[in-house]
Amino acid sequence: MAADVHKKKGWEVPNGSLAPGDGQHTERSESPTPGLAQGTEPGAGQEGAMFVHTRSYEDLTSPEDGAAAARSPEERRGEPAEPSSMEQISKDFSELSTQLTGMALDLEEEMRQSKEGKLEPSPQTTRRDSVLSGKEEEDVTMDAWRMHRKHVFVLSEAGKPVYSRYGSEEALSSTMGVMMALVSFLEAEKNAIRSIHADGYKVVFVRRSPLVLVAVARTRQSEQEIAHELLYIYYQILSLLTWTQLNHIFQQKQNYDLRRLLAGSERITDNLLDLMAHDPSFLMGAVRCLPLAASVRDAVSTSLQQAKAKSLVFSILLSGNQLVSLVRKKDQFLHPIDLHLLFNLISSSSSFREGEAWTPICLPKFNSSGFFHAHISYLEQEMDLCLLLVSTDREDFFTVSDCKRRFQERLRRRGVHHALQEALRTPFYSVAQVGIPDLRHFIYKSKSSGLFTSPKIEAPYVREEEKERLLGLYQYLHSRAHNSSRPLKNIYFTGPRENLLAWVTSAFELYICYSPLGTKAGAISAVNKLMKWIRKEEDRLFILTPQTY
Amino acid sequence: MSGRRVDAKVVLLGQEGVGKSSLVERCAHRRFRPGPYQNTIGAAFVAKVISVGEQTVTLGIWDTAGSERYEAMSRIYYRGARAAVVCYDLTDSSSFQRAKFWVNELQNCEEGCRIYLCGTKSDLLEEDRRKRGVDFHDVQDYADEIKAELFETSSKTGQSVDELFQKVAEDYVHFTAFQVMTEEKGVDLGQRSGAYFYSCCHH
Repeated sequence: MAADVHKKKGWEVPNGSLAPGDGQHTERSESPTPGLAQGTEPGAGQEGAMFVHTRSYEDLTSPEDGAAAARSPEERRGEPAEPSSMEQISKDFSELSTQLTGMALDLEEEMRQSKEGKLEPSPQTTRRDSVLSGKEEEDVTMDAWRMHRKHVFVLSEAGKPVYSRYGSEEALSSTMGVMMALVSFLEAEKNAIRSIHADGYKVVFVRRSPLVLVAVARTRQSEQEIAHELLYIYYQILSLLTWTQLNHIFQQKQNYDLRRLLAGSERITDNLLDLMAHDPSFLMGAVRCLPLAASVRDAVSTSLQQAKAKSLVFSILLSGNQLVSLVRKKDQFLHPIDLHLLFNLISSSSSFREGEAWTPICLPKFNSSGFFHAHISYLEQEMDLCLLLVSTDREDFFTVSDCKRRFQERLRRRGVHHALQEALRTPFYSVAQVGIPDLRHFIYKSKSSGLFTSPKIEAPYVREEEKERLLGLYQYLHSRAHNSSRPLKNIYFTGPRENLLAWVTSAFELYICYSPLGTKAGAISAVNKLMKWIRKEEDRLFILTPQTY
Repeated sequence: MSGRRVDAKVVLLGQEGVGKSSLVERCAHRRFRPGPYQNTIGAAFVAKVISVGEQTVTLGIWDTAGSERYEAMSRIYYRGARAAVVCYDLTDSSSFQRAKFWVNELQNCEEGCRIYLCGTKSDLLEEDRRKRGVDFHDVQDYADEIKAELFETSSKTGQSVDELFQKVAEDYVHFTAFQVMTEEKGVDLGQRSGAYFYSCCHH
């Protein structure tokens, strides 16, 4: 890759210019340096944020989720929480790099220590054969079933199966019974089971009464991150039922079979799990925007803002799993988790492509006790542009439907339709545009705006496994950076196939992946160059001026 | 939930997987999509214009989700409906039991709603008669009892689909005309007789 590639391979921008020519960013520093404070980093909103202010990953999982997710494993207590210097870390990692393809060093350590501890690892219990299997579902007695990288189970406190990612729930009822027995056994001692580490597997438990969620994973994710994914599944269930209804049901009847109420939603949950394995949004706890010229985005946002109704709380335009525009009611903030659930709902069903859907939906992080009503429709048959209008009034379908019509009319009048179509043709940009030859990929998150940007995953990460491996590396760095007992700010990671660098400040998080032949000094200068590039492109890559009605 | 841009609200009810969405797809877009089953989330709204004689009627069709999860919500979709197409799968007797449930629900809550029983997937019977799980005469008797119309349709071939919605539209026109006559049978002494006829012609 030559340094000037980016000049030739630019986006096909209708107006031919990537950088905004106007001088509206005079207050924002030209060269983003480590001294950036939150709110001034590239991508930071200029007029406040769109989302609930989530400063970091820990915020997403605490405090109400903290009990299960943001805990510090007991085995770590003895480790000194010394401030770690860049040199020390890079030394650690060059030692570690040889083991990259295998199991991470700390995982082995954790395993050894947990074996010494009071938890008896019992991988057999989670892999026990079951009697029957569903007709269309996978046979749970087969090796292929056991070989899945991550199993997810949801059960009620009575031990009744609610959901299984692979295989039918009936066939797994005895296995789930054992899981519940494990949970109850420890609870009897006023303890809580959090995880079992054995044989390369992590068995992670999350207890959210009246449900228990269990993952059996042999991915490189930390226990904390797996628990975080389980919470997403929990929220997914809440989004269909509300917390109030879920609790009410089980108060009435402890051994209720929840699958009756969740019938047909398995596909949504399956899709969520698949998405989490591919899309860094969930790891970052942030939302990715469709790259779009600021003028076009502003026109879209204004049209959306003008098509308001009394009962509307959020108007969201999205494409694929990327945000195009979001307009919200004053003082009402959406949580990234809620938005991810909405994205997942839309991407998991093709049924929204026909007509206009009107569906009750709970946004659990916003309010887990009640339903909103969402109007979901695609703007045009062949265009991947979905409009989501969230209303508080279930009787308001025709009013909200009229908002859509008004929005489309305004969009047409402003003549941005063509530009929008153009942008949809290239929903991802190439890393070559940054002009750093050794740079392969990166993820940059602005903490104050809750948005992140990331280029298309390109060669050598072509095959699915390779893409997942790359995300796995990011997951690993992320878990090290956000380890609750020993968080790290800078991580330099040398591997046989690529080098990575993570940099976490109070304002942003940056993860870069570059050639294994690159040097550390090269990486650091790449980071500076990349940050300047992001600053230059920020009004395309982010939503800097979020709108309210 | 009453919209001004539609004349008559029509709701589709029935057990999940009987083919309500396919029926709407055939009616509105004249196509059938084979392939993996996609359950409806919440409900989907489609407007369909049908001509009856010289008039046009816009049916606002609500395709509801069959899942039990949305049962509590279903009332917002059928409230004020002029017609309900209650669907069951001709090859699945349990789906007919579920249809009876919806009929009861409608009889209790929506007196003014006309009921159309619709046995779906009739093309499967053409392949193999033995697949029939719901007897035609039983349903016919039941339909007479509840004063419902009965159709057996196939969204795959299009059989009887247009007839069903045409009938819904025609009934709406006739029934509405009749309703206007009967509703205004009380004589308003303050109103001149001319105004009465004026409103009649407009409907």
